[in-house]
Amino acid sequence: MKKLLLILFLLSTQASFGQTTQREVIGRDIGQIKGLKILVRITDEITGDPLIGATATVPELAINKVTDTNGTIELILDRAEYNLQFRYVGYQTIDFPITAVGDGRIAIRMIQEDFQLDDVVIFGRDPEKNIRSTDMGVVTLSMNTIKELPPFLGEVDIIRSLATLPGVSQVGEAAAGLNVRGGTPDQNLVQFAGAPIYNPTHLFGLFTAFNADIVNDVTLYKSFIPSKYGGRGSSILDILPKAGSISNWGGDLMVGTTSGKLSINGPILKDKISVLGGIRGSYINWFLKALKNPDLKNSRANFNDANLIISAPISDENELTYSFYRSYDDFAFASDTTVSWTNTSQSLQWKSQFTEKLAMNVLGYFTQYDYEIFNQSGFNDFELKSNIRDLGAKLNFSYDFSPKNRVNVGGDFKRLEIQPGELTPSGDEQDILPKKVQNEQGIESGLFFQHEFELGESFGITYGLRYDMFQYLGPRIVQQYDENKPLSEGTATGEVAYTDGEKITNYNGLGPRVSMRYSLSKSSSIKAGYNRMYQFIHLISNTATIAPTDVWKLSDNFIEPQIVDQYSLGLYKNLKGNIFETSLEVYYKGIQNVVEYKDGVNLILQDHLETELVPAEGRTYGVEVYVKKNLGRMTGWVAYTYSRSLRRVITPFEENTINDGEWYSSNYDKPHEVTVIGNYKIRNNISLSATFGFSTGRPVTYPVAKFDYSGISLAYFDRRNELRLPNFHRLDLALNFKLNGTGRFFEGDWTFSVLNVYGRKNAFSLFFVDEQGSPPQANQLSILGVPLPSLSYAIKF
Amino acid sequence: MQKRLLYLLLLISFGCVQPYEVELEEGPQILTVDGTITSGAGPHRIFLSKSATYGSIFEGLVRPVSGATVIARDELGNMVFFSEKSENRGEYQAPDSFFAVIGRSYTLQIQLSDGKVYTSFPEKVTQPPAIKKLSYKSVTTPVEGEINNASGVQLIVDIDDPGEENNFYYWRNAQATYVLETRPDLFVNKETRDPAPKDCCSICYTSELVGNQSIFIATDDNFNGLSTKIPVAYIPDDGVRFIQTYRIDLRQLSISSEAYRFLRLVKQQSETSGSIFDPPPASIRGNMISLDDPNEVVLGYFIAAGETSRRVYIKGAELDFRQNRGIIPDDCREVYDSVVNPPADWNPEE
Repeated sequence: MKKLLLILFLLSTQASFGQTTQREVIGRDIGQIKGLKILVRITDEITGDPLIGATATVPELAINKVTDTNGTIELILDRAEYNLQFRYVGYQTIDFPITAVGDGRIAIRMIQEDFQLDDVVIFGRDPEKNIRSTDMGVVTLSMNTIKELPPFLGEVDIIRSLATLPGVSQVGEAAAGLNVRGGTPDQNLVQFAGAPIYNPTHLFGLFTAFNADIVNDVTLYKSFIPSKYGGRGSSILDILPKAGSISNWGGDLMVGTTSGKLSINGPILKDKISVLGGIRGSYINWFLKALKNPDLKNSRANFNDANLIISAPISDENELTYSFYRSYDDFAFASDTTVSWTNTSQSLQWKSQFTEKLAMNVLGYFTQYDYEIFNQSGFNDFELKSNIRDLGAKLNFSYDFSPKNRVNVGGDFKRLEIQPGELTPSGDEQDILPKKVQNEQGIESGLFFQHEFELGESFGITYGLRYDMFQYLGPRIVQQYDENKPLSEGTATGEVAYTDGEKITNYNGLGPRVSMRYSLSKSSSIKAGYNRMYQFIHLISNTATIAPTDVWKLSDNFIEPQIVDQYSLGLYKNLKGNIFETSLEVYYKGIQNVVEYKDGVNLILQDHLETELVPAEGRTYGVEVYVKKNLGRMTGWVAYTYSRSLRRVITPFEENTINDGEWYSSNYDKPHEVTVIGNYKIRNNISLSATFGFSTGRPVTYPVAKFDYSGISLAYFDRRNELRLPNFHRLDLALNFKLNGTGRFFEGDWTFSVLNVYGRKNAFSLFFVDEQGSPPQANQLSILGVPLPSLSYAIKF
Repeated sequence: MQKRLLYLLLLISFGCVQPYEVELEEGPQILTVDGTITSGAGPHRIFLSKSATYGSIFEGLVRPVSGATVIARDELGNMVFFSEKSENRGEYQAPDSFFAVIGRSYTLQIQLSDGKVYTSFPEKVTQPPAIKKLSYKSVTTPVEGEINNASGVQLIVDIDDPGEENNFYYWRNAQATYVLETRPDLFVNKETRDPAPKDCCSICYTSELVGNQSIFIATDDNFNGLSTKIPVAYIPDDGVRFIQTYRIDLRQLSISSEAYRFLRLVKQQSETSGSIFDPPPASIRGNMISLDDPNEVVLGYFIAAGETSRRVYIKGAELDFRQNRGIIPDDCREVYDSVVNPPADWNPEE
C-alpha cells in the first residue's frame, strides 16, 4: 500500500513552476520614496544552491549587478516600477517585473536552459544524451543527487545509492559489495581517482569508505564497458574526486550521530595549485566507552578515512592531479580479537590537450589493501596478516576527427602482489607455529582501441577491441595432482618449484566491445551491445559478502580467468520535453570459470586453494525498467528489475558436484526488485525524500533433516540454495532543511532521517538452533531491526 | 570469536535475532550413526537413530533405531558384538572387556531389523600423545539481553605434540563427580508449605556427565612438534557445581584425518550464529555407506581412536568468577545420583 501511495505521489506531481509574469509588489510600504534596499537571492531551482556570479539587470536604471558567494545582490532602488531581469550562463533568463514600495527581499529560483540540470541529472548536460549516445547501462550519479537520498546513520552513502538503480543490488543490509546484473562483488572494479580499491567499506559494509564531500561524481558501467576498462567481469565503478578551488578557501563540516567529517579546500598558489583535504571518522568508540558492561567498554568499532587531492592546472592545455586516499577500520570485541583493515592508494594523473583534436591522459597508481586479525586472548596469541599490492599505469590517447567521430587508443599495465596470509605467534610462550602462505605475483596488461561515430542523424556505433594479457609469476612451489582424480591433498603427486619472476602460466584473450544505436525519433531510440570481459583475480569467499575470511586469488594453473560475455538490448524514450526519461533494457550474461567452494572448506591459510574449489559456469539474465522524473518540485525514479543469476558446477568427479550438476540459484539471485525514490521540495529550503525498496529474498540452503551427533543436534543440508529468505522491503525517509545564511559566513544543512520507517525486520540470514528442551527453531538475523533515526548538521564555509 | 564480533555489530546497528516460522516439507528419515570405540576402558557405545524434520515439536523428534545387529570387525577378522541396552533403545554397547587395539583398523557393520545392511570405511586406531598437564580457569561471556554474564570453567591441556606425524585431537568429557552442598534446614513441607527443617544431610557427592555444547578438536598444523596449550572443554557454572570441589576426567582421543574433517563440519555448524561471516551450510557426510543402495545417505560417523585420559580437581575457591550460589532446600541425598560418602579414589589433594 505504501509502495502504491509513493508511486502515485511520484507520478501525480508535475513540474509545477512557471515564470513570473505578473508584476509583484516588493517591500513593506512605510511611505519611503528613495533608497529602498532590496535583497535578491538567486538559487538553483533543483538543488537550492546559491548561484554565484549571476547577473541582475535593472534596465530602467541601467544597473548590472553580479551575485556574491551567497548568491545575493543588494539593489538600491527608488519607489517605482522596474522590469528586473536575471541571467546566468546556462540557465533560463527570468524577467521579473516589480513594484518597489519599501525595503524587501526577492528569492529567485533559476532553472537550467536545457531543462536538465547537470547537478541532478544523470546523463549530463545534454537532455537527450540517453537517447542519442551509444552508451548503454552507464549511470553517473553526481554527489548532489546522492545527497538527496535518505542518508544512512546521518551519512551520505555512495554504494547504497547505486543499489537504488535497476540491475544493481546488495545481498543485505550489512553487505559490502554491489551485485551488478547478478554478478559477484569481486566482478566490480571499484576505482578512486584511477586506483583500484579492494574493500570499499567501513564496519563490514554498514558504511561506504568514501567521504562524500570529496567525491565529485560516481559512474557505473554495467552494460557497455568502454574498452579502456578491463580486468573485471561485471562492472566498472569509477569514483572521481573533486578538485579544490584555485581562487579562495572554503570547506565543509558535517556532524552526524555516529560519525563526522571535515574537508577544506583552497589555493596553495593562487590560480595555479589547489589543495583539497578531508578527514572522516566515527565516534562509536566513545559510546562504547560510556557503557557499563566491561566487555563492551573494552570493545572497539573504529573507522576513519582521509583524502588529499592536489591539482595543478599548469596551463590551459595541461593539468596534473595527485590523489592520496587511506581508509582504516578496526573492530574488536572485549579487546581479545581485533579485526582491522586498511586501504591506501595514491595516483598521479596528467591530462594534456595537445591540439584541439588530440588529447592524452597518463595515470600512475599504487594501491595497497591490508587485512589483519590479532588474537590477544592469552591462548595461542597470534597475528594473521595479509595484503594485496597493485602498481599500475594507464595511457590513453583520444583523437576527435569531428565531434561525432572519435578514436581512443591506449594501454595499461598492472603488477599485482598478493600475500594471502601470514600467521605469527605473538604470545610469550612458543605454543603456536608461524605459518605463511606463499605469495603470489602476476602482471596484467591490456591494449585497447575504440572508435565511436555517427552515420547521419539516426545511426551511431561505438566499437572497440581490448587485448588482455596475464602472466602468473614465481617464486612459487606448485603442487601437481593425479589427473584422473579430483584435486585434493590426497591426490597430490609432486611439486614443481619456480624461481623469482619465472612464468608459471599465462593467459590472454581478445575482448570485443560494441554498442549500436538507432534513433526512432528525436526522443526515442533503440540500442544493442555486446561485451567480452576477462578477469584474472578472484575473491574466494564462502560468505555472501566481503568478509574477514575472504581470500583474493590470482588465476593460476588450476583457476582459469573468468570470461564474461554480455549481450544487451535497450529501448529508450523521453517524454514531455525530457521531463520524464524511460528505459527498458534486456540482458544476458554467460560467465565461464567462476569458482564455487566445496562444502565446509577452509580458506584461511590454505596453501593449496585449488583443492577446496570446484569450477563452475554462470549465467544471468534480466529485464530492467526505469522511469525517471528529472524536473519539478518532485523528482525521483521508479526502477523494476526482473533478473536471474544461476550457477552450474562442471566436474567429471561425482563427489565434487553441487546439486547433481544442475543449474541452481547463486547467492545473488533475487528475481524481483523494485526501487522507488522520491524527492519533494516542500519549500525552497525544505525537502523530503523517500526511498522504498522491495526484493525477493535471497536464496538460502535449508536443512532437509535434523540429526543428533555426540549430544549436538545438527542439520543435514542437501541441495544448495533451494529455498529463499522472506522478501525484503524497507522505507527510508529524510527531511532536509537548508539554512540560507544570507550575509553570514556559511550556510547550514540539517538532515533528519529515519531508516526502516515501519521497523521491518528484514532477514539477513536464517539459521537453525536446537536447544535441549525446546523444539528446533529457525532463527533469522536482522541487521537493521528497528526504525533508526539519525540527525546530522552540515555547514559550508 | 565471530559470534562476539557479530554481537557488537548488531549493537551498533540495532539489529536482532528472532525466531522465524518456516514451513518445511516432511523430509526423509535418514539413518544416523554416532559411535566411538577407543583404546581406553570404555564403555564403547554405538547410537543409532533416524533423523527428523525441522518443524513442529513432534516432527522434530529424533527416533532411536532398535533391534539392529551391530558388529565391529578389525582387519584380522576379530569381531565384537554390540548389544542393545534394554533401558535405552538405540544404544548398543560392546562387552566390558573390549577395547580397541592401537595400530589396528576397524569397520562397523550394521544390519537393521528390516534387513538393510550398512558398513563404515575402515578407521585406524593411532597412538595418542600424552596429556602433560590439565589446568583450568574461569571464563565469562556476555549474554544478549541479560545483565549478568554467563560463566563457566574452561579446561586447558598442555601437550607435547609429536613432530614426526600429523596428529588430530578430539577431547571429550568423561564422568564428573562433585561435592554437592544443600540446605536441609530450609526444607519446606510441600503440602502445608510450612518450614520443616531436616537434620541431614548437607554434604553429598554427586556424579554427572556434562556434554559439551561444542566440539573440541585440533590439528597440529599450527603446532606440529611443539609444546602447546589448548582449551579442551567448557563446563558451564550452574551455581551448584563449583561451590566446593569438582572432579572431572578428560579423555583425549587421537583420531583419523577423515574423522577430524567430519568433526570440523559438526563444530562449524554448531557454532553458527547466522552472522554475516558464517560460511554457508555444508553438507555433513560421514564414513557410513549402505551396501544395498550406494546412493542412500547415511549420517554420522564411526570413530576408532587411541585414548589417554587425565583427571583434574577444580577448586571453587580458586576460580576468579563464580555465579551466585544456587540453593537446594533439601536433604542432599534427595538429589539424583548423590551419596554421602565420597568415591573410594576421591583425593582432591593429589
